[in-house]
Amino acid sequence: MAKRVSALDGHFELGRFGSDGATGVTLSVVKDLQLIQVAAWPDSMDEVGQMLAEQVGANTIASPGKSISGSTGSMLRVEPFKWWLLGSDAPDLSAEQGATLDLSHSRTRVRVVGDEAVALLNRLLPLDLRESQFPEGSVASSAIHHVGVTLWRSEQSYELFIPRGFAVSVWEVLFESALQFGVEVA
Amino acid sequence: MSAKRLSEGGRIDRSKRIRFQWDGRAMSGHPGDTVASALLASNEKVLGRSFKYHRPRGIMSCGVEESGAIITVGEGAKRDPNVKATMQELYDGLVASGQNAWPNVRTDVGSVNSLISQFLSAGFYYKTFMGLPPFETGKGTGIWMWYEKFIRKAAGMGRASREPDPDQYEHGHLFCDVLVVGSGPAGMSAALAAAEYGLDVILVEQDNELGGDLLGQKGSDIELRRTELVGALENAGVRIMTRTTAFGLYDYGTAGLLENVTDHLASPDPHLPRHRFWTLRARRTILATGGIERQIAFDNNDRPGIMNASAGRIYLNRYGVLAGEQVVVATNNDSAYRCAMDLSDAGAEVTLLDARAKIPGRLLELIGDRGITLMTNSAPLSAKGLNGVNSLEIAGGKAGGWRSKGKEVCDLLLVSGGWSPVVNLISHRGVRPVWNAENCCFIANEPHEGICMAGTAAGIWNTADCEDSGTAAGEAAAKALGKATGSGGASTSMPAVGGWDMPIKPLYEVRIDGRKSKALVDPQHDVTTEDIRLAHREGYVSVEHLKRYTTLGMSTDGGKMGNIIGLALMAEALGKEIPEVGTTTFRPPYTPVSIGALRGRSVDEHFRPLRRTPMHDWNLAHGATMTMAGLWHRPWYFARQGETITEAYIRETETTRKTVGLCDVTSLGKIAIQGPDATEFLNRIYTNPFAKLPIGKARYGIMLRDDGFVMDDGTTWRLSETDYFMTTTTAHAGKVMVWLEELLQTRWADLRVHVTSVSEQWAGCAVAGPESRTVLKNCVNDPSVMEDSAFPFMGVIETSLKGDIPCRIARISFSGEMAYEAYVPSDYAHALMEMLHPEAVAVDGCLYGLEALGALRIEKGHVTGAELDGRVTIEDAGLGKMASQNKSYIGSALRRRPDMTREDRPKLVGIFPVNRSEKFNAGTILCKKGEVSGLGEGWITGVTHSPALGHWIGIGFISGGHEAWSGKTATAADPVRSKEVQVEIVSPHMYDPSGERMYG
Repeated sequence: MAKRVSALDGHFELGRFGSDGATGVTLSVVKDLQLIQVAAWPDSMDEVGQMLAEQVGANTIASPGKSISGSTGSMLRVEPFKWWLLGSDAPDLSAEQGATLDLSHSRTRVRVVGDEAVALLNRLLPLDLRESQFPEGSVASSAIHHVGVTLWRSEQSYELFIPRGFAVSVWEVLFESALQFGVEVA
Repeated sequence: MSAKRLSEGGRIDRSKRIRFQWDGRAMSGHPGDTVASALLASNEKVLGRSFKYHRPRGIMSCGVEESGAIITVGEGAKRDPNVKATMQELYDGLVASGQNAWPNVRTDVGSVNSLISQFLSAGFYYKTFMGLPPFETGKGTGIWMWYEKFIRKAAGMGRASREPDPDQYEHGHLFCDVLVVGSGPAGMSAALAAAEYGLDVILVEQDNELGGDLLGQKGSDIELRRTELVGALENAGVRIMTRTTAFGLYDYGTAGLLENVTDHLASPDPHLPRHRFWTLRARRTILATGGIERQIAFDNNDRPGIMNASAGRIYLNRYGVLAGEQVVVATNNDSAYRCAMDLSDAGAEVTLLDARAKIPGRLLELIGDRGITLMTNSAPLSAKGLNGVNSLEIAGGKAGGWRSKGKEVCDLLLVSGGWSPVVNLISHRGVRPVWNAENCCFIANEPHEGICMAGTAAGIWNTADCEDSGTAAGEAAAKALGKATGSGGASTSMPAVGGWDMPIKPLYEVRIDGRKSKALVDPQHDVTTEDIRLAHREGYVSVEHLKRYTTLGMSTDGGKMGNIIGLALMAEALGKEIPEVGTTTFRPPYTPVSIGALRGRSVDEHFRPLRRTPMHDWNLAHGATMTMAGLWHRPWYFARQGETITEAYIRETETTRKTVGLCDVTSLGKIAIQGPDATEFLNRIYTNPFAKLPIGKARYGIMLRDDGFVMDDGTTWRLSETDYFMTTTTAHAGKVMVWLEELLQTRWADLRVHVTSVSEQWAGCAVAGPESRTVLKNCVNDPSVMEDSAFPFMGVIETSLKGDIPCRIARISFSGEMAYEAYVPSDYAHALMEMLHPEAVAVDGCLYGLEALGALRIEKGHVTGAELDGRVTIEDAGLGKMASQNKSYIGSALRRRPDMTREDRPKLVGIFPVNRSEKFNAGTILCKKGEVSGLGEGWITGVTHSPALGHWIGIGFISGGHEAWSGKTATAADPVRSKEVQVEIVSPHMYDPSGERMYG
């Protein structure tokens, strides 16, 4: 099988950059994304949601703006009738149940971690990321630099899903903004 | 006269010295100083020159309303004009200079203007020079246009650098429960009260320290109270932002903030932006923005050495600078008494003029036996001394006016004409402030959109009352947000407006009828009391017109200094009360916002985001010169050693027609259309039938807008019973996606269809030319899938390439040659090109770019975004056969309107130069021969040199189409380039009109 080439390959360096002092954020590019979109119909939402929950090893269905992570993957409710499956294969659905779509190559996944992660993200994202409003497991669609992105707060980090063609442009702005916090690219 | 730094007192660190430059001279100050306080301490009097008359100006205030000490800070690319010296913190190595003066502000040649100032009244330049009699009488403003630039040069403010701004700026977003603007006693109390109820509070302060008015008061108890409050705020978790100005309030609790990050630093961290532009969203907003002290208009009231009474007090108590030794304090209200006391205690000889006749005992007790000379029923009449006030002629009140009652020698004149609560921000929300006659000020205390006023901003004068009003506002916010309910919650009541011992006496101007005077209302724009009266005599009634005519309040302070006086004088002239004349609406920004902060990081290569195809780096590595296509960068041409663009694209075009060419077509829009009703959906949006498209086939389709004009075109591939892959033009990809989503969500919610953009998922390469099949055969795992019988024209296959790369290929042609479009998941784009390119080279093929793509499609008469510009019907584009008569679809009704079906509509045509050696440009207008006028008969949308035909050709539209022009010559007129070419109108299908080549 041919090797996958990330949109950011050759566009970043690993290391510590920016202001002296504490390292406020760590950015990392997550390669080889596996992302399956599962869309259902109004009358099949529960059925399909249940199927996906079982598939990722969770016992509840992710509601809008939320995600559920189980033993074998995560389901993110990105739209009223759509989930994103991470780390899991496409389920076998009939057209009457819904539709699946492989989007693994459509997004570039960047992980943002650190004490200043929210500060950095809010330099670019008009989302209320306060703990009370965007707790672990939250998912939101928004925009950075006029580019529509999806933000997911996973167990350990904030994860950005950037449309592949804009990945370099958004990365540059993200990295430039991160310099003031002291940034590690890992 | 002299101002001096005292040996103790104030919030400055005398143990450290900061060196800076003022107009080329070395100066020094201390940490804690502003440029204004340091210059004042050095007894510098003239710091600026006025806008029109070049009158000498000194420090007039201690804050954002400063209208005298307006200076330029920085040099070269970092030169920043119109900085208020009162707001600029001092740092080591700061370079400041005066502006609007030559050779400098102290000896300014332009000051001759003040000798003829009686002519330079409101509207002078327009009245005198516009339609200049007798030359331009009734003829317009031609001469004016010419010399306006000289007039503009003579008057004005500082000049910005013409070099690119070297600083970085950024945007940011904040969210909170309660925003408190201003950190005086009211603001701090409000923030504390709200935070103590568990609310998330942001406190914004434009100053570098919290405290507001407390910073300018004297006494250790005051400082104790201030530090106590600051400590409590920090403990309560209030997010504090200093050096940050809330410059505007917008819908739904949105506030615009400008944070000054590095303007006060000598050598800032290079990774820090200079300014941050914050968009803050709050559920509740408390405005504790304080008040601005007003001046009084009297003769020469703008002389250096005349400032606000509160400013004199702040320079003393905060900066340890005694601004004068012989001080006259003139007031019409209680607030200046504390100022007189503090200055007297610091050693100044103080004369206190109070315009009021009777002074209450408490105030007399307050000044006590300090030796302050108190003159009641007195006001300033005329200041003497050009470059610094040296004496004051005093007016005494008499029935119905004033009389001169002698002179008082002084080196500093402090004036308090009352206080204007800062209602600017609430005014941004469309709230009209209400005149409070008792306190002579506008207030806006009705709660509005969850915004509430507190402290002096609400017209409350005393410190203790301000604290209470802040607490009450904080509690009210808590209550509104569901906290502070039940007993014990929200117990503080809002104090009443006012709070002085004795009412203020309305006093806006002091003059004696018949005596000439130069009394400034808006010192920044040199608007005088006479200008206001002149405007009245000339018939101006509305205050809005008055503003625009006299330019009152239109300078960088936005009317903070002069608006109320102007309004009062207009009211007097009209014989009305102030509220009847109205008030002007304040608009954002409250204080100036740097343009850099507005743009944030969207500058240079990030002016807009750049969209790269997955082959971007591969294309560049293979010699591509890129061009912009919307946000995309696409290969324009692949020049070989020594080739020009023209040579390159002609070679690429010829090679593609002869053997094979490869072109990155990833930028085409791609949409997955899925669901049991996908077929029905497509059948409704495309003009041609889609109900019976077999699986494994693609079909070209046109979609119209509701109004019947063409929206976009492209191919749609059927992958399964319920699964389609639609391609759109690059230009309309986003628009089509949004349109389909809108249709499904608003019109056809019953259809079970999902649409998803897969533009980023798939990388596409067009393989075009007679050898295209050979190339692909050598790349797929199973060459038999490429056989003509298995894979006919308009066929679609899903297969795999060597290396097991999944791939979908359609046999479709934009070039007119036998051609394929091959798509792979984007991360395999590099692998795809690495596979295709050697195979293409092996059969003498090449890479081609957008220029060759254009040449190939123009030869064939294929339309793109340039033709489908929103004015074109399906018939105009020559595609009328694709409009089904047997079904209804979006646009099917309105496309039949009479004007849409006129015979003489401009229709798609090909264009040849009559003289085949000539060329023409895109954008050229097509006219009847020899009748070059108006909009002509048509236009040219694309041109190319056609290698196949051996001459220049064009594509475009002309009325009636090519049949109507058969045998006639048209003129291609290009008035911009003064060029006319005679052209022949032909069928748009200029090359291989029968279309045989694409079947291979």
